Amino acid sequence: MKSRSQADTGAQAAALPLVELKNCTMEFPGVRALDNVNFTLMPGECHGLVGENGAGKSTLSKCITGENHMTRGELFMEGKKVRLSGYSIKESQRLGLQVVHQEFQLMSEMTGLENIFIGHYARRGGLIDWKTLNRRARELMDFLQCDVDLNVPVHYLRTAEKQIIQLAKAVQSESKVLILDELTAVLQEKDILNIFRIIGILKAKGMGIIYISHRLNEIFECCDSYTVLCDGRHIDSGNVRDIDQQKLIKMIIGRELTQVYPKMGTQFGDTMLEVKGLTAPRAFRDISFYVRSGEVIGLAGLVGAGKTELVQAIFGTHPVTGGTILIRGREVKIKNPEHAIRLGLGYIPDERRTLGLNMKFDIKENTVLPSMSKFRKFKIFQDHRAEARSAYDINEKLELSYYSLWQSVEKLSGGNQQKIVIAKWMLRNSEIFLLDEPTRGIDVGAKFEIYKLIHELTRQGKSVVMVSPELEELIGLCNRIYILYEGSIMDIVEGERKTQEVIISSLLGVNGK
Amino acid sequence: MNTFEEKAKRYGGGWRSFITDWMILFLFVALVAIFSLTLSTFRTTDNIMNILRQAAFTAIIAMGEFFVILIGQMDMSISSIIGMVSIFFAGFVVKMGMPIWMAIVLVLAMAALIGMINGILVVYGKMPSFIATLVTMNIIKGLNYLYSRGLPISGLPDGFNFLGSGYVGIVPFPVILMFVVAAILFVITAHTSVGRSFYAVGGNLEASKLSGINVVFISILAFVFSGVLTAIGALGLTAKTLAGNVSLGENLLFDVMTIVVLGGTSLTGGRGRVFGVVIGALFLQVISNAMVLMGINTYWQWVVKGIILIIVVLIDSNTKRDIVTTSRKTKLASAEEK
Repeated sequence: MKSRSQADTGAQAAALPLVELKNCTMEFPGVRALDNVNFTLMPGECHGLVGENGAGKSTLSKCITGENHMTRGELFMEGKKVRLSGYSIKESQRLGLQVVHQEFQLMSEMTGLENIFIGHYARRGGLIDWKTLNRRARELMDFLQCDVDLNVPVHYLRTAEKQIIQLAKAVQSESKVLILDELTAVLQEKDILNIFRIIGILKAKGMGIIYISHRLNEIFECCDSYTVLCDGRHIDSGNVRDIDQQKLIKMIIGRELTQVYPKMGTQFGDTMLEVKGLTAPRAFRDISFYVRSGEVIGLAGLVGAGKTELVQAIFGTHPVTGGTILIRGREVKIKNPEHAIRLGLGYIPDERRTLGLNMKFDIKENTVLPSMSKFRKFKIFQDHRAEARSAYDINEKLELSYYSLWQSVEKLSGGNQQKIVIAKWMLRNSEIFLLDEPTRGIDVGAKFEIYKLIHELTRQGKSVVMVSPELEELIGLCNRIYILYEGSIMDIVEGERKTQEVIISSLLGVNGK
Repeated sequence: MNTFEEKAKRYGGGWRSFITDWMILFLFVALVAIFSLTLSTFRTTDNIMNILRQAAFTAIIAMGEFFVILIGQMDMSISSIIGMVSIFFAGFVVKMGMPIWMAIVLVLAMAALIGMINGILVVYGKMPSFIATLVTMNIIKGLNYLYSRGLPISGLPDGFNFLGSGYVGIVPFPVILMFVVAAILFVITAHTSVGRSFYAVGGNLEASKLSGINVVFISILAFVFSGVLTAIGALGLTAKTLAGNVSLGENLLFDVMTIVVLGGTSLTGGRGRVFGVVIGALFLQVISNAMVLMGINTYWQWVVKGIILIIVVLIDSNTKRDIVTTSRKTKLASAEEK
């Protein structure tokens, strides 16, 4: 367990490691991001790199790609030592290294074909030889056993299809090592399985894959070996067959987690929000659900099932054509977010960085933004001190880690940023919280804190409507889960029926009521 | 656990962040000091007052543009609004014999209306503000020339001259007006929720909308501010010559943009200060004044101002101004570990 990755020692003992990083130390001014870390990747191996945000995962992968220059340490590629002075992304790409991010590095107006071959166009007589490119693209798709339309601009494609194009792009450039950075964070179960299948094909071809993900069960599903980092230190490496999820979590956060999901209450108050037959063209139709005070309900569904649109419609940013919304039993027509907020709704959007927070503002400004009208002197002037005081109180209550109320929110970790978005609505005294993927892209430790917060909200008698692609999370937190399939409610599960199997089959539209 | 006092101390990083925030002020002081030492004609009271007086109306117009840039948009129409206010005001008073106060109210309303149209085109028409205001700029320019046939309208009453050239004690009236306008706008931007909403909208429109800010109202209001403040500046410029002139503001747009950016306003919106704009206006005026005193050909001013704008924009787009300085990253990191 202590030594470096020993996976595949039997089958490929003779092969040289594709990537070998020895005693890598990376220092930023004042911070040691990596401390004597070792890392080995063999051909045909999928190596899971796990750790909390800020543990050094991305720094490590950037050291390998040349985006960061390590302070000390050695890097070997296929046994050959890499000269670190002058090592750059360009050089690492030449050596056969590719990174695929969840954020798309695709030109959205160009077709899949153009994107795959960009910079590597086959030419004939100075002109691009489209015939050859088309043939090679078809070969690539056959090889990956995928069927993606390559002749439309990629912005028409689904998220999963765009990622397949990114993978195809990496394969066509004859890469030997692929770094998949949080690729599946925005994907649904079905598409993730497809990505795993492709990873299998690439492994069989002898490529090495470094897999970075916050979803630990994926590590067990598709990786051969793992490396855990914590605070820039190398904690453990080994074969995934020798470990279970509990142990992995313990290593990642450096402590034991007894209770993953807080014990949710079973006593609920009056119905706070009720939706009857809500319909929006091309998004969802005839949606009915309700949520009581102190209750958490979940909305599950694949990408495109209409969950986000539904939540936005309740918050007044997505137009609806039919149905009614009742708040505390009174029918309301929600015109815009302003109106929704006055009615006691609070919205925590899925895109934290672009929709949830104002990155140019500091912590205090972000926290008080929806509640500014509460802090008035002589009716028109803002009371800065009272604002700062309440921002401080609420953020301390949420155990936010920060240095000063005036620091920019941009450099905070994802978990801390999410806490501020929730703090905004707690300060505003919202009664009904609409949470769209509240734990997207945040690490295990911070996830549990968000769960605790949701629990705290229900204890105060607030109602929570939660959208999440992670079924486990919904099962752990929600009293009732509504499953959307292509815009309508396919199934409602609660109590005994709250199991992964039931939900997945409804998600895919297999069984229904 | 830190106490409220510790976490609420503004500029916890000390003087360093204060200096980066007010860089333009220090540069301005340095510039004034250099010219005072080297040019004996520069440091006279008369000349200083002259600089202040000449900068005053440009500064007021720039404060209008400031609001539009603050929300991340741009208002090109101000040059035509200046011409419109000047010619129509003179027309109302001289040709139609309206009382001055009524003419002032009328032109301010016209300018507010143009601002509102600009805002509506941008918000509801979803037009890029650059195009929308370019269009209104040309339409107004056309109307100005149709109304005046390109000829100036002179003969405004002498008393009106006070607005442009009057003195209170030794201080020119325009300077007092500039500081009063700046003070009011400062209170609005820093101490009211409407003012801070400008920053929020410029910083992140979508997030502001989802936080319950009426982004439509705020965006249109920014253009209305721009129109009205431009009109006030234009009235002052007209008062100096006592004649309405369509081409009054033709070369001013460039100066106004330079002043706003020079004052530390981010071109992408969400960041800036009213008094920064005032200092920016004085800065630019000091440079042109010193160049005149040194006997340099006035056309060189265009070259120099152009170079200044390039430098300032380069600095603005290549530095990420942030309250958190490098030396404090360590503390932040340790705070996050906790």
